[in-house]
Amino acid sequence: MAPLLEAISIGKTYPGGTVANDGVNLTIQAGEVHAVVGENGAGKSTLMKILFGIEQHDRGELRLDGKPIRFANPREAIDNGIGMVFQHFSLVPSFSVYENVVLGSEPRNGIKFDRQKAIADVRALSEKFRLAVDPLPPVGQLPVGQQQRVEILKALYRDARILILDEPTAVLAPQEVEELFVAVRALVAQGRTVIFIAHKLPEVLEISDRITVMRAGKTVGSVNARDVTEDSLATMMVGREIALRVDRAGARGPLACEVKNLKIDAENGSTIAKDLSLKVHAGEILGLVGVEGNGQAELLETIAGLRPAADGVIALDGADLNDLSVLQRRQLGVASIPEDRIARGLATGASIAENLVATRLSDKRFVRNGLLDLKAIKANALALIEQFSVRAGGPNVAVGTLSGGNMQKIVVARELSEQPKLLLVNQPTRGVDLGATQFIWKSLTKARDGGAAVLLSSADLSELLALSDRLVVFYRGKIVAAFVNSDDLTAETLGTYMLGLNTQDPETMRAALQ
Amino acid sequence: MSTSSPSRFALVGREVARAVIALAIALLVALVVILATSADPAKAFSTLLTAPLSSNRTIGLWVDDVAKLTLTGLAFSLVFQAKQFSMGVQGQVYMGGLFAALVAMSPIGATPFAIPVAMAAAMCAGAVYGFMPGYAKARFGASEIVSSLMLNYIAILVVNYIIRAHLAPAGSGQLVTAKFPETAILPAIIPGTRFDLGIVIALAATVVVWFLLYRTNWGLKLRLVGHNAKFAEYSGIRSSFIMVSAMTLAGSFGGLLGAVFVQGRAFGNLAQNFDGNMAFEGILIAIVARNKPLAVPVVALAYGYLRQGAQLMGIRTDVPTEMISVVQAIIILLVASSFTLPGKKFIGRLMGRSQTATTAPEAAK
Repeated sequence: MAPLLEAISIGKTYPGGTVANDGVNLTIQAGEVHAVVGENGAGKSTLMKILFGIEQHDRGELRLDGKPIRFANPREAIDNGIGMVFQHFSLVPSFSVYENVVLGSEPRNGIKFDRQKAIADVRALSEKFRLAVDPLPPVGQLPVGQQQRVEILKALYRDARILILDEPTAVLAPQEVEELFVAVRALVAQGRTVIFIAHKLPEVLEISDRITVMRAGKTVGSVNARDVTEDSLATMMVGREIALRVDRAGARGPLACEVKNLKIDAENGSTIAKDLSLKVHAGEILGLVGVEGNGQAELLETIAGLRPAADGVIALDGADLNDLSVLQRRQLGVASIPEDRIARGLATGASIAENLVATRLSDKRFVRNGLLDLKAIKANALALIEQFSVRAGGPNVAVGTLSGGNMQKIVVARELSEQPKLLLVNQPTRGVDLGATQFIWKSLTKARDGGAAVLLSSADLSELLALSDRLVVFYRGKIVAAFVNSDDLTAETLGTYMLGLNTQDPETMRAALQ
Repeated sequence: MSTSSPSRFALVGREVARAVIALAIALLVALVVILATSADPAKAFSTLLTAPLSSNRTIGLWVDDVAKLTLTGLAFSLVFQAKQFSMGVQGQVYMGGLFAALVAMSPIGATPFAIPVAMAAAMCAGAVYGFMPGYAKARFGASEIVSSLMLNYIAILVVNYIIRAHLAPAGSGQLVTAKFPETAILPAIIPGTRFDLGIVIALAATVVVWFLLYRTNWGLKLRLVGHNAKFAEYSGIRSSFIMVSAMTLAGSFGGLLGAVFVQGRAFGNLAQNFDGNMAFEGILIAIVARNKPLAVPVVALAYGYLRQGAQLMGIRTDVPTEMISVVQAIIILLVASSFTLPGKKFIGRLMGRSQTATTAPEAAK
């Protein structure tokens, strides 16, 4: 029997000469969950865009049901039964769930939009595929996991036989991931086929039947999920052995940073977080756990001086930071690796050398009498590029031309080029490949061993569990639980607190907060 | 995926190729307009292309334009590099022109200090005028686009009024001041032409702006604010100070342009509406030069040549004057839009999908 969907020696070169796909082979059998894994820049997204008609391949052939086919646009792909759920949803927040699902293919009653039929259709679909979601509320009010279901329903409503999910678990809490997997299994049980793009290998092994590994625009191979382990898969992806393990801190040092009863307000006056109290000691990493949007990011921004504190105290080595400017805080030894390197952490149009000195423009080494010391700036860049093994054409190259991992290394290099006292880290390895992740983790532990107190926030629980010495859980702007990290602590345990399903007694929490 | 790092030379080459292709398309369209409206299109077209070099006088006209276009281009480049869209150069030109004229007509005008003092006064006036929209933005969040445009009208009308009511010779009924003393007028480099000290001032200003942007702490901060204001804030750069100071400094160059206008050989007096809207053409120069100060005079040289050629074509041939404006507008449109069009993919699609076809519009962009 011919495979359902086949890609044979697909090649795609973008204008500008970037070869994104070069001889990619992919064979999808009907009714399987097929994972496509690979590092960032391996060409997964480009392949999926070709399958969904957003990009067109310049070499090779696509076959659907054994017949050659080519999609000029997503419409044609949809008409051929292919649906795609992007990492960033394309939903209208103010529209209700059922309106979003049927948008563009509304059931009609004469010329009128038949709302009752639309609601009934969406109900039926969500029951059939075990994607429980109420059709009536506006999408904007739903949690991320439910919004994702709406996206999947959208594709199913258009009768997708093949569903492409682009990194679907990146935005979900562990429990939500479980629910997604239940839905995926229900889909497959009813004869649909799922292509699953992913980063996190344990999930890939759990959900998929077959796995295709891509590296540097090529397919490395396809394997049965039950024949491989996490390690062998990682080796295939990276092309060399890789160990994602870090050493925990030794003895922690004296108290470095203390936050007391901090309250943070949004620009519109609503409260984002309140009663935040925590302590970080020199030489330890405190993990901030929580589903995104529960106040962790805002806490880090407030400590960095990018957001005013509405109330409370932030102290570093006993000195109150609240009235100090960003620059003054930096001079006291605060460094920060922001959540979004492109929006906040870098000037992508400026050169590597300029980005690397941007936070030190009052340093006599680089600026004297208002004039730049270009030689020193260049030497600084060359040294840091070497030290942090950034792959770049040279210090004068614009940062925007680097890959995600190398951009993140520039941020890390700048923030850690001098030993900080307090290091604020948010999503250090988001969208970063395994090799760079390993390197960034090492850099963070090195800063910790050098005496930095580290506050780490991440959407990746395995990252938090791997790096943190203690963890605090945020839920709706409050700290609801605290743990001393140990091998017994699991992502599932944290997940119950992250979703507000569990509460910790005040005594245990106080003990772990010290 | 591989990231190639094109050398600086290749990068400059690509930019120049883009400009040249845009220019060629503009000339082609101009040719079509001329063919449609002129009885002797060959003569008209050759006038457009060669007239600026036909005599010392026309060379003077050209160089004078280049000086002015360079200065306005520099003023716009400075604010654009900080991602501030202040449109206030015209107002600064009028304020600068007024103060230069006041100095030139005062007793100082008859001394050897006339030129430097008038220029300093003009720069101060322009700086104040540039500071106002910047401060309004930093303090009250006022859009610099709106406030600077409104300040332009105020400046033009106030200066026009002062000329008519107070500075024009009494009873003459004229809308211009008396000629300044010779000591207050920029000396000609080629006697009898408009080829005067203005071009030297413009080139010196170019070097100053380049130095400020690329060799000083302030310039690096300014460029970082322009690249990403949120990043600047996170790095501890005071972006509102940078913003206001960039607009103030750009204002001083606008004011300087005002002095070059009124003290140049072209005028030597203060007239109503003296800038003929040339101040705004600096936007075009800045866009094509990608806000790079060293590229500004080069772009001004090429654009000023075409501009002068079109004007001389209007004077010397039968191409109707309306069409001259049309040709000028087309040149501006093509040159400017080819540098900013977001739809290069769309153009690429129009030109066909093959690899070879997409490289041509790519280069044109």
